[in-house]
Amino acid sequence: MKKASLLLALAASALLAGCVQIQAPDKPIEINLNVNIKQEVVLTLKKDAEDLVNNNPELFPQ
Amino acid sequence: MTLSRKTLALAGAAVLVVGAAGIAYAQSAGAVSAALSSGEVGEQADGYLGFRSTPSGELRDEVDAINIKRRDVYTKLATQRGVTVRDVAVTVGCETLQKRVAIGRSYLLTDGEWRTKGEDPIVLPAYCGQ
Repeated sequence: MKKASLLLALAASALLAGCVQIQAPDKPIEINLNVNIKQEVVLTLKKDAEDLVNNNPELFPQ
Repeated sequence: MTLSRKTLALAGAAVLVVGAAGIAYAQSAGAVSAALSSGEVGEQADGYLGFRSTPSGELRDEVDAINIKRRDVYTKLATQRGVTVRDVAVTVGCETLQKRVAIGRSYLLTDGEWRTKGEDPIVLPAYCGQ
């Protein structure tokens, strides 16, 4: 029984491995560095910005 | 089990004090809050408040004062984190646009066009991330 499930797992992994396909994109890859860097900075500052707003309610009237 | 008169009086006094402080705070932020409600003033993607229509001199002064204080706070955080003031400001812009613009209020995106918040969430600039 144990052997059978082992074989099954092996077969499954072999199948999965066979599924990995790498395809060249049709279009050239465009990387907009400006946008990417900005997004990264915004992401790292997100928590700080949240705290800043919450800690200064008088500067963010509703 | 009954509360003594003294306790009741103290509780009553506390309620009065808190209420009075609340009214004073509401009055000081009154003009800007009213302008936000009417849509005359709104949050901008750049992290500052702006005018959708030409404001009175008094309102302009109050909004300018808030924006100057905001820039101070942004500058402090930018220095701490080693980023530009603008980086902090636009991140705050993402935050305010996402969470602090109520339905019916005005907001300004990077295209320079004022919009009124509807039922749907604001479509944030791409750099805000998801």
